[in-house]
Amino acid sequence: MRIRARLDRLTREWIRRRQGPDREAVTLRRGRIYILPTRLGAAFGLMLFAMLLGSLNYANNLGLALTFLLAALGVAAMHACHRNLEALVARAAGAEPPFAGNDAVFRLAISNPGRAPRCDLEAVTTGTAHAPMSVAAGDESVFTLRVPTRRRGSVVLDRIEVATRFPYGLFRAWAVLHPAMHCLVYPRPAADSPMPPQSPGLAGGGTRRRGEDDFAGLKDYHPGDPPRHIAWKAFARSNELLVKEFSGDAEALPVFDLDDVPGPELEARLSVLARWIVDAHARGMTFGLRLPGEEIPPEPGDAQRRRCLAAIARFDAPAPDVA
Amino acid sequence: MRLPPMSPEREAGFRRLAWTTAGLVAALGPHLLRLQLWVSAFVLAACAWRLVAERRGWPMPSALVRGLIAAGVTVGVVLGYSTITGLDGGTALLALMSALKLLETRNARDHTVLIFIGWFLCLASFFYAQDVATAAWVLPTVWLLAAALLVVSRRGAEGPALPPFRTTGTMLLKAVPVALVLFMFFPRIAGSFWGAPSAERALTGLTEEMSPGDISDLTLNDVVAFRVRFSGNPPPPPQRYWRGPVLNEFDGYTWYRGQVQSIYRPKVAHRGAPVDYAVTLEPTGQQMLFALDMVENWTSGFAQQSWDFGLRTRKPVNAVIRYDARSYPTYRAGEYLSAALRNLSLQLPHSRNPRTVELALGMRGAAASDAAFIQAVLNLFREQEFYYTLTPPGLARDSVDDFMFNTRQGFCGHYASAFTTMMRAAGIPARVVGGYQGGDWNPVGGYLIVRQSHAHAWSEVWLSGEGWRRVDPTGAVAPERIERGIEASFAESDLLPGGLMRDSPLFWQANMLWDNLNAQWNDLIVQFDRTAQDELLLNLGFDDPGWQAFATALGIGLAVATGLLALWLAFEFRPRRTDPAAMAYRRFVGRLARRGIERTVGETPRDFAKRVRRLRPDLGTPALAITETYLRLRYEPAPTAADLQVLRALVAHFRP
Repeated sequence: MRIRARLDRLTREWIRRRQGPDREAVTLRRGRIYILPTRLGAAFGLMLFAMLLGSLNYANNLGLALTFLLAALGVAAMHACHRNLEALVARAAGAEPPFAGNDAVFRLAISNPGRAPRCDLEAVTTGTAHAPMSVAAGDESVFTLRVPTRRRGSVVLDRIEVATRFPYGLFRAWAVLHPAMHCLVYPRPAADSPMPPQSPGLAGGGTRRRGEDDFAGLKDYHPGDPPRHIAWKAFARSNELLVKEFSGDAEALPVFDLDDVPGPELEARLSVLARWIVDAHARGMTFGLRLPGEEIPPEPGDAQRRRCLAAIARFDAPAPDVA
Repeated sequence: MRLPPMSPEREAGFRRLAWTTAGLVAALGPHLLRLQLWVSAFVLAACAWRLVAERRGWPMPSALVRGLIAAGVTVGVVLGYSTITGLDGGTALLALMSALKLLETRNARDHTVLIFIGWFLCLASFFYAQDVATAAWVLPTVWLLAAALLVVSRRGAEGPALPPFRTTGTMLLKAVPVALVLFMFFPRIAGSFWGAPSAERALTGLTEEMSPGDISDLTLNDVVAFRVRFSGNPPPPPQRYWRGPVLNEFDGYTWYRGQVQSIYRPKVAHRGAPVDYAVTLEPTGQQMLFALDMVENWTSGFAQQSWDFGLRTRKPVNAVIRYDARSYPTYRAGEYLSAALRNLSLQLPHSRNPRTVELALGMRGAAASDAAFIQAVLNLFREQEFYYTLTPPGLARDSVDDFMFNTRQGFCGHYASAFTTMMRAAGIPARVVGGYQGGDWNPVGGYLIVRQSHAHAWSEVWLSGEGWRRVDPTGAVAPERIERGIEASFAESDLLPGGLMRDSPLFWQANMLWDNLNAQWNDLIVQFDRTAQDELLLNLGFDDPGWQAFATALGIGLAVATGLLALWLAFEFRPRRTDPAAMAYRRFVGRLARRGIERTVGETPRDFAKRVRRLRPDLGTPALAITETYLRLRYEPAPTAADLQVLRALVAHFRP
């Protein structure tokens, strides 16, 4: 078993050396598709060998013909298995950041530029695999890979195998991708932590909010934007919901500050911040974030939640975990 | 009773099981009638039960029950077949094991084991017969089993519904060139890796012993024993004596080949023109070969001629073999007979068949010479109330006495046995010769078919100054048997096989065509041996068909065949012709990507265009125009060429 693990590691390193890192979209060309018989294929080979010996021994020509036909079927299956991967285009298609402890979801899009459907493709990475899926001719399918996370920061998906055993399961062809896909891992929100009082005076936590004094332009509507700011005239023109933005003095809005969170543990304090951000967003509030060296002005909406969570995920982050 | 519909998973499971079971039953097909009835019944019942159980969701039998069944059937095979290693016992065991495996089939691996067993059963049916009919059954079976493997090896739940039979069919077609090359150039070996193939399988045909009634049983069998192709004209029917086993030892009831053998081959002098021919012998499980009397030359290294002029191979004939031979119908053989062999040819069991011995001694005393005595015995058969019949009554322990004085109804074996006994009793060395007499001429292929129904037995006597002379006592009772064949002697009888066939010219014709097909098949495929391979290599221009020639031919052939396979696959998997609108749109997307605006997965063209407009208001108008034109080209029922030109022009001028 140790030898096998070592062999496996050496193979992986060799493949990484000869292929180098991958860019966004990778066409699976012949040079990067590997193929070996499966256990079933080995058993099939043994069966053929026994049939060959029997037929030769008894000088049975039809037995030989049967053996050779099956052997040739195996060869055809090998070629077909290899072809089943060839010329596919694999593309990293983003990832969904999780809270630490949940699974990061990486997406790999595989498109089939050929005329034949590609059957039973698998995307495999250490400890996780997407169920086999087929990609119709000219179509694209998205494989999701769920990678468990332990801690805040980020996780890197460094190696994906796109594999297939189609047809017959006698051979397994695979291609190795080194996409270096990153996914942020948000701190796990602390259990119930009351938000700081919303007062502008709070440790200078207030900031100028864009007021309603001077019209500054139009921006996309986000849920939570006050309806009276919607540019109805623009909507009538273009069917797009836009809201008017104003600049000017306004009342101070909460800005969550790391320094406001007591405690000795950075991670625990970040978790409290995460809790506040999640709760504030859930309530449809407008909020900002201040970390040492980074400030995010108050905004409402999903994008703001993402931005803030990403900022605390990145803040003084440990080295990424490699999946 | 209506069954509730199955869940999709159970339906998929049922489908897999149905495919595997179908393949297995097809593979069992040729064996079902050959296997003992209980084996066939058990296997079929297991298949049926398993399908019903899967459909209704019954539980599988427990390990204990399965173990008990396994033990039971193994004991059954040992009792029924007395061995588990022979072809019959092995096939029975394989069939039973497949049935048992079926009772515990759950995952894909169990299914693949069943499919592999199915392929082995296909191989086993070729060990029984290599004729056209078997091949015609096995090929679709192999196909079906491979399709079943495709079904059980599918891993994706969804995906394109590939018809398994068709997909596997095209795969097999792609495989055919490789298989052909392997078949043609994979060197056949002479001899075998392990011991001589076991000969205990029950093959119809002559054996090296003969009891009363043996040959008449054989005569009911229409199976082909061998086919003969003559280089010239075939000899006339009365000369078509195909010598087989020569029987020297008699125990009063049964004739045996005997233990005493001599490698000494008496001299043969022949006169007249020889007959040259090639025999394609179906498997006999015996060591003897058949040749016209008197054979002089035969394919060297194949067989040896023993002192009784019979040809014997070193190993039992368990596959179709072919040999060339030259015979002289007119001959004088073995003028000198050693004392030991003379004694052997005079042996009679002590105090058996006393009345016959007494009769012979009396008749010899009355006859002037050995030749006159022989004639007297033949006259006895001819003139007294002796009947030639296919259904002779059973005989007592002293079979010759019982036949000569009680039943007086017999087939060729009875007459040969009685005649030889009388000769020996009178002091004339004699023996029984088994073989075939006659044959059906196949006008379609121009060859002679010798069937089991042509089995015959006659006598040979040794006369001083002349040597061994063939005497056929059956000729005295039923001369038409020798002149015109077995059918002529029993024209009224329905007992002979193929009675209907022989009466109807159409059936006769069809039968001859079918037999000719089998003969060609034998010559081309079944008999494709090392000699034929050497010839093929010589024809292909190799000077010396040694291993280098084989390696070269195999290498080049495989390269060409796999090349064809790869080409076919490359054609199947060729890229789609991209439509020009998509290409233009892709250029547009590419240009934006270089400016940092990338289209994300799943973003529709319209959404993308809106995003472009937001990010780069200056590009909004052309981006929207390109997108709308593109969408019109893609989704309008009848896109116009003008639209395509507009799209191309827009994209050409789009410089972000």
